[in-house]
Amino acid sequence: MVRVVIANIFRYLFYGAARNWVRNIGSIAPALGSMALLLLMSGMAGLGGLALFNLERVEAAQASLLHVYLRDEATLPAVDAFWYRLATDPRVASVTYVTRAEAFARAQTMPGLPQLANASEGNPFPASLDVQLKTIGDVGAIDAMVQHDPVVDPVYPTSYDRGAYQRIQAVVLGIAIACIAFLAMLAIVAVTVTMNSVRAAIHSRRDEVTIMQLVGAPRWMVRGPFVVEGAITGALAGAVAGLVTFGLTVAGVSANPMTFAQFAPGITVTVGALAATMVFAVGISLGSGSSLISVRRHLES
Amino acid sequence: MVRSIVELTGVTRAYGSRLALDDVHLSLEPSKLTFLVGPSGAGKTTLLKLINREMRPTKGEVWVDGLPAHSIKASRVAELRRRVGVVFQDYKLLPRLTAIENVAFALQVGDLRISDQEAMDRALDALEAVGLGDRGSAFPHQLSGGQQQRVAVARAMVSQPKVLIADEPTGNLDLETAWQIMHLLEDIATFGTTVLVATHNVEIVTRLQRRILTLVQGRLVRDQPAGAIGRMAWLASASS
Repeated sequence: MVRVVIANIFRYLFYGAARNWVRNIGSIAPALGSMALLLLMSGMAGLGGLALFNLERVEAAQASLLHVYLRDEATLPAVDAFWYRLATDPRVASVTYVTRAEAFARAQTMPGLPQLANASEGNPFPASLDVQLKTIGDVGAIDAMVQHDPVVDPVYPTSYDRGAYQRIQAVVLGIAIACIAFLAMLAIVAVTVTMNSVRAAIHSRRDEVTIMQLVGAPRWMVRGPFVVEGAITGALAGAVAGLVTFGLTVAGVSANPMTFAQFAPGITVTVGALAATMVFAVGISLGSGSSLISVRRHLES
Repeated sequence: MVRSIVELTGVTRAYGSRLALDDVHLSLEPSKLTFLVGPSGAGKTTLLKLINREMRPTKGEVWVDGLPAHSIKASRVAELRRRVGVVFQDYKLLPRLTAIENVAFALQVGDLRISDQEAMDRALDALEAVGLGDRGSAFPHQLSGGQQQRVAVARAMVSQPKVLIADEPTGNLDLETAWQIMHLLEDIATFGTTVLVATHNVEIVTRLQRRILTLVQGRLVRDQPAGAIGRMAWLASASS
């Protein structure tokens, strides 16, 4: 009995839906295209958003990092006392002593600096204390406090990225609003086109639907195939968009890993695969959801 | 007293300001063939649709085999419809299915517990009952109008409903074929199903001498018992 019910459900709900989907591919194509485009844009926007989020965090950490450069003549006990004073300040998260050799090594990893470092005779980089603040707002106050300390280099006492974080935040906010508005518009188009294609499918099969309704087919069985058809459309659009999203991520990561990591921090092949999976799942939900809305609107019980 | 299988009490159905049915009271007894006559626009199709819960009455109650069609929840409509078979003037067969598949399809989508083999066996039985046992593999376009209507009757009856409603079942058929269909509906009533036929076919209605309900402008103006010879005034308007 259970096997018979399952076989019938599979035949009338899934197989029937798949057969009708293939038969109606002409009218479904616009919905498929617009949904694939929407999902692809969503996938790329999602990855871009994650990269921007990570970039913002990196920038926030860097912006609240104050480099305090030490005099070459500063004695070790004086530097220790200065270090202790900063480390015990409640506004400070951590203080790291960077030797001249470490500063030189760090410069080698930064774009443009290796050439500069190699052009100089000896090591041009001073020792420093890297002071990580708990909040960005305290950077200015700590900077002012340490400027005139005897162990601090009087010519170039400190450095930090003034205003960079705020600028990035403004840019990220602007991009996010633009992306959300664009995706919302695309979503409306995709849902509308899908709803219309389901409406056309209902119209083309009105006799079948009428007969199913009149012989007492349960409501879910009358509506189900149309929802499954929408899910198939969404799944296919999701699969295409997901594959393209994943392919672009893999291409970006493998083309130049260092540069890619700088411009899109946190975006790896695994993250790309996860994004592709999410795009696929969203596709199924979007397709079946918009079909369900259309069925509820256009199918009488 | 015989329990009614279909009962309408004070039923009114309005389309905007126009009344398609106006305070209709009637009951149908089991195993009887009843004709529903009246001019075009009298409300015959509306009355049939109320019985099958294709629409709800604006006012009044419609009971079908103990179920309140006027107030039944959408989730239980299928249960009601499994008790009511429907035959249309234009047959409404699915063109891509054969005759036997049309019948089996209706049987299976109405009851998912029915296996393929059982559905085909019962569909074949139903087709044999309407005299089309040898045309099961034919597609609708390969059948005559009368044969297509027989398939439609087989489809309506295969799940053994308590009530069969037929909306102009002979409207597209020549007189000889129409008589064949009517005899078939008579047989169905004899075997225990309540049959309600909306028709314009005056000759059939008068010669069969079954109960006749006459609707005019939404009102049930006459309920003529079976065997009675009534006035023929309605014929003029019924055949219009």
